[in-house]
Amino acid sequence: MKHTILKSTIAAAALAASTGLAWADKDTDTLNVAFTKELENVDSYFNSSREGVVMQRAVWDGLIYRDPETNEYKGNLATSWEWVDDTTLELKLREGVTFHNGEVFNADDVVFTVNFVADEANGVKTQRNVNWMKSAEKVDDYTVRIHLKDKFPAAIEFLSGPVSMYPNEYYAKVGSSGMGLNPVGTGPYKVVSVVPGQHFVLEKNENYHDSPKGQPTIAKVDIRTIPDVNTQIAELFSGSLDLIWQVPADQAEKLDQMGQFTVANESTMRVGYLTMDAAGRSTMNPNPYTDVRVRQAINYAIDRNAIVSALLKGKSQVVNTPCFPSQFGCVQDVTTYEYNPEKAKALLAEAGYADGFTTEFYAYRNRDYAEAIASYLNAVGIKTDFKMLQYSALRELNMKGEVPLSFLTWGSYSINDASAMVSQFFKHGSLDDSRDDQVLADLNVADSSTDPDTRIAHYSKALKRIADEAYWAPLFSYNTNYVFKPSVSYTPTPDEVLRFTTMTWN
Amino acid sequence: MTHTANDPLLEEITGPTPGQLLRKRVFGHQGLLIGVIVVAILTLIAILAPLLAPHDPYAQDLMARMKPPVFLGGTWEHPLGTDHLGRDYLSRLIYGARVSLLIGVVAATISGLIGTAMGVAAGYFGGRVDAVVTFLINVRLAMPVVLVALAVVAILGGSLTVVICVLGLLLWDRFAVVMRASTLQVRQREYVAAAQAIGASTPRILLTEIMPNIANNLIVVVTLEMAHAILLEAALSFLGLGVQPPTPSWGLMVSEGKNMMLFEPWLVLIPGAVLFVLVLAINLMGDGLRDVTAPENRS
Repeated sequence: MKHTILKSTIAAAALAASTGLAWADKDTDTLNVAFTKELENVDSYFNSSREGVVMQRAVWDGLIYRDPETNEYKGNLATSWEWVDDTTLELKLREGVTFHNGEVFNADDVVFTVNFVADEANGVKTQRNVNWMKSAEKVDDYTVRIHLKDKFPAAIEFLSGPVSMYPNEYYAKVGSSGMGLNPVGTGPYKVVSVVPGQHFVLEKNENYHDSPKGQPTIAKVDIRTIPDVNTQIAELFSGSLDLIWQVPADQAEKLDQMGQFTVANESTMRVGYLTMDAAGRSTMNPNPYTDVRVRQAINYAIDRNAIVSALLKGKSQVVNTPCFPSQFGCVQDVTTYEYNPEKAKALLAEAGYADGFTTEFYAYRNRDYAEAIASYLNAVGIKTDFKMLQYSALRELNMKGEVPLSFLTWGSYSINDASAMVSQFFKHGSLDDSRDDQVLADLNVADSSTDPDTRIAHYSKALKRIADEAYWAPLFSYNTNYVFKPSVSYTPTPDEVLRFTTMTWN
Repeated sequence: MTHTANDPLLEEITGPTPGQLLRKRVFGHQGLLIGVIVVAILTLIAILAPLLAPHDPYAQDLMARMKPPVFLGGTWEHPLGTDHLGRDYLSRLIYGARVSLLIGVVAATISGLIGTAMGVAAGYFGGRVDAVVTFLINVRLAMPVVLVALAVVAILGGSLTVVICVLGLLLWDRFAVVMRASTLQVRQREYVAAAQAIGASTPRILLTEIMPNIANNLIVVVTLEMAHAILLEAALSFLGLGVQPPTPSWGLMVSEGKNMMLFEPWLVLIPGAVLFVLVLAINLMGDGLRDVTAPENRS
């Protein structure tokens, strides 16, 4: 009853607002999209948000491209590549490619880009994306060699992801801030307007080379920053937006029930987890987390299946490892902890915390998930002093080792290799809460070996030890909901990258 | 018999007593009655929360999320439905009354003590004391309450105690201003001069001559500031900087329901409406008390 009223009200409102507008966007060949967050800088090396990745894939190209469906590596700005030795990669470049400003793409651009980003002094935001490269060297106009600092088996994956090629002459002239205001790349879309805080306008690149990304069909993409999801949905109803994404599960479900929009759900590589101060770095005294039984109790205390089916929904799944199951090396035959609050209480009692304990509990996103987790912990006697912080603030605290228990997530920058997650957090870096030497030794071998079997064997050992010791409580993988008008045709990919190139009008 | 009854002087003497007059004023004032009754009911609910709440306000049931309230097709199991984590909305609302009233009363008391002490001292002593107090009031008025509260809570972290202290230490300005002005008026009166003439001590004058005669103003400010503190707590909690989950707070409930506002508006409307009713009732009560106790209405 209520839904019928609601539906008809919304439908009437939408109809009233959109008569004459309804198909206007298709008529003008402009796709209106909303971003939730503002980009710090459009220059893809100087922002770390998901929206930045979307822009990067639309405006720039990498040397290699991974087909999101088959996971096969295809040449993009390079046509072929081979390993000269363990730390030298030689690439043949595609000829006849020009940047949006007319500059010709050749070896000089690759050499410039690699040397620029690999130099730590230039301050690329996410060093892990680029710090495995030492330098690049021009062999001839369309052949380059990239020298690695050390053996790095995931190099191809990184070259097909975050490492995009910049025009050397233009970038040398305008620098990062100029690139941010007036981005120039080789990608399927060129940026025609950047109005910080308002919108970005992209236009189809008519001269796009024969790329595995495919040819763009929609002429114009207008991306506006609208932080509030309710406003986004209202604009979708009124017709001034064609596509919204990252729509929370509950709203997506309701929109789906209305039947007027296409709701597509796709899993992402983002994994949510609890990290515990197993190494005893925080000031908590006594520190319960140094006891493996307490960490196991926390693993047993949380009903992950209920959280996934009730809160995350869609293609989310329970995760048992500190990596996403599709990632190379992310073996799944590790110790798993089912939901068993009785066992959790018993383990706590065994560890000397029969009456539970009080702990600070930090989180930076999804307050509802964090609250649900806290409630499960409360139920076995662990009282939580809940603190919600901004990501940067929490990360800083975590680096200082001042966080006893926190709910965090990691998206691996959509890199399909376990090193992008497990090696990020278990190699005694400042974010490593466990500091286990055995895990470190195995990860060192796995990360630098070029033999796939050796890598898998050592990731497997590391992941099993992490699970046995319950250093983390891995929780679940995320999903993203894409909601768009029936006039738009789009099939999302599991890597949480919005690809304008594969969107068409119906 | 008839002679005495017609004696105007006697009639005045046997007329209604001050107590009867007061009762007449109280019961003749609708706003006051409504306000007092509503505040009394909500206070009782807050005190008796463990007896009244049908469920544990912290018990989550992820399989029963966002069940609609009875009047929108829900069941009596959860008369006001459940929230986004499947917790009983009525129970959370009842426990939320505790948080709101506690913050309102304690914050208004703290700021009332600070503000009244400053205001009365400034008004009665004048001179340098007045200059200092006026300066402090100006300083305080130059700082936007919400901004300062946000900054302090962001640094110290949100919790019930922090919110109460921050609001208590910030909301004394109106007390000080009003008490100072009232005291200035009252201290000119003859009875103050008379008390001074018979050699009454300063504390005695302040407590027995000044305070009773400015109490009606104080009551109005107390109620205003109570309502103000309750609203500010709701605002801070709404912004995620006030009371921290899982503590039930009406502001937090509005904030948590906000995401589903388009589809399940009752999630926001119910706590919002209760908040509105409480603040309105406190203000009605304050206005009523002023009308009833104001010296000019006594005769």
